[in-house]
Amino acid sequence: MQYSEDYTLAEMMCVAGAREFPKSGVVLLGMGLPVITGVLAKMLHAPEIAICTEVGAFDYLPRADIPRASIGIHDIILNDGSAMVSDMVDALGSLLMGGNVDFGVLSAAQVDRFGNLNTLVIGDYRDPERRLGGTGGNTEIACLAPRVMTLMPQERRRFVPRVDFNTSPGYIDGPGARKRAGLEGQGANIVVSTVGVFGFDTADGGETGSCEMVLEAVFANLSPEVAQSECGWDLRLAPTVAELEPPTVEEISLLRRLDPYQFYVTPGRY
Amino acid sequence: MTARDAIARFVDDGDTIYAGYTCIAFGLCYEIIRQRKKRLEVVGGSVGQQATLMILGGCVDRVRSGYLGGALRPGVITEMMSDGRLRYEDYSNQGIALMLMAGALGIPFIPTRSFLGTDYLRPEFAEHPGAYLGDQKWAEMESPFDGQKVVLLPALRPDVAVLHAQRADEEGNVHAWGHQGDSKWAYWAAKKVIVSAEEIVPSSAIRSDPSRTIVPGFRVSAVVHMPWGGHPTSITGYYDYDYGFHARAMRAVTRSVEAYEAFAAEWIHGVEDHAAYMAHYREVFGQEAIDRLVATDGPEPELPVRYTHAPTLGLG
Repeated sequence: MQYSEDYTLAEMMCVAGAREFPKSGVVLLGMGLPVITGVLAKMLHAPEIAICTEVGAFDYLPRADIPRASIGIHDIILNDGSAMVSDMVDALGSLLMGGNVDFGVLSAAQVDRFGNLNTLVIGDYRDPERRLGGTGGNTEIACLAPRVMTLMPQERRRFVPRVDFNTSPGYIDGPGARKRAGLEGQGANIVVSTVGVFGFDTADGGETGSCEMVLEAVFANLSPEVAQSECGWDLRLAPTVAELEPPTVEEISLLRRLDPYQFYVTPGRY
Repeated sequence: MTARDAIARFVDDGDTIYAGYTCIAFGLCYEIIRQRKKRLEVVGGSVGQQATLMILGGCVDRVRSGYLGGALRPGVITEMMSDGRLRYEDYSNQGIALMLMAGALGIPFIPTRSFLGTDYLRPEFAEHPGAYLGDQKWAEMESPFDGQKVVLLPALRPDVAVLHAQRADEEGNVHAWGHQGDSKWAYWAAKKVIVSAEEIVPSSAIRSDPSRTIVPGFRVSAVVHMPWGGHPTSITGYYDYDYGFHARAMRAVTRSVEAYEAFAAEWIHGVEDHAAYMAHYREVFGQEAIDRLVATDGPEPELPVRYTHAPTLGLG
């Protein structure tokens, strides 16, 4: 295995996220990083997964010579290779709410220690410091997918003790909260950042355990202290924090080929 | 019908207008701005730069959506949302799609299992600076059949939907293909439907492939022949998203009111219609910039589709 010696942490986040995809099943990709990570996973590690988007692409099969990953989920390139294209009621209704999704992939502006996400406002909803674009389909994927992976760069302003506005519930405020809210359990959820991979302290989808985020692995040459320094609460660590295999030349070169306009991985950040 | 006539005749000040996520009728949105329509409510699961421009153009005072912005960061618009010039109600893509479906089906509301466990439902957030729906926004209940918690979303019946499609005939039968976002339900939910199409084709061509028809002509109020009518967004099989135009021309609009006015003077009010807009585009950026957008890469159906039937039923 030849490892890449020239990569950014943002690239490693995509590579690590792609490695975490299940080997089979139906995955629903949200806006942003989930798209490129999902296409990378499908082409490298998990050819059996059926990639779907809320705009209406079902079982998207990227061509081997695809010129780019889809830019967003409205990109018409997703019509090229999908087994079916349809609409949002089919995708977020029959597919997702109907119970046909195995794995949802999301990104957001903030995540908190229970894995809740915020896609809507920074500050108080009634007097926000900043409005973000909005949730799109993030809310229903977080509510309804049986398992979720979240991809986001690790910064203190993003990894906050409590999201400013919970658009997209993880374990809400701890054990039992999803069920009390009327939601099904969810897990094992994961978060992949620009530092490492996190799980959550619950073995039964949020009924028991602390349901808090737990650092399980860090990228090569990074330490748990880096994760703590870019996290707004006292981070739980797994008994043994593993070090992830560095990205291979193959992973990095495909990732760069899929992102020719640097839409997903902006040079100079992370 | 021309875009000018269609918008003048079928869009009234104060209307609720669907101007959605994919299949965006950008040329019709430009025409709405050109005619300086007022006090519109824009709805759609996710509404992007077409909504941004209509807001900056002074046409819109309410937005009901799950996403507002797209490639244009809503900086100026955030101010308008804070100071009350733009009222808003936050939903989600699934929420709006289901609300349009309920509107299309003629039922008063539709339940969802989304939104449970989120802060959207917290009572203290019902009164936010943009609120205008109050207790008409949604309600929570338990299913009378199995006790399951659900959120009830009210039906959405826009006064008018503007949509762009690949082709239509003069009767208003519309062929659309590729992923559709929430447009399919907007076609059925809106009281009036205005369609711009890349091509106007004989009715026989539509009727020879009726599974591709997204809406029958009797639901459509006006059809406008508008090549490049989705520009600068994309339409499957015709042209792709024009990120170059965003970078070079459109992105500036959220910087300041003056920057928007300069853009609108050149690209909206300075051209009489969408054909003139594309002609101006050609002058500024050259034919090669247009050629680069043409959708040439990708599949065509490998097998023909037949709608054949036996002329007799074994009886003749």
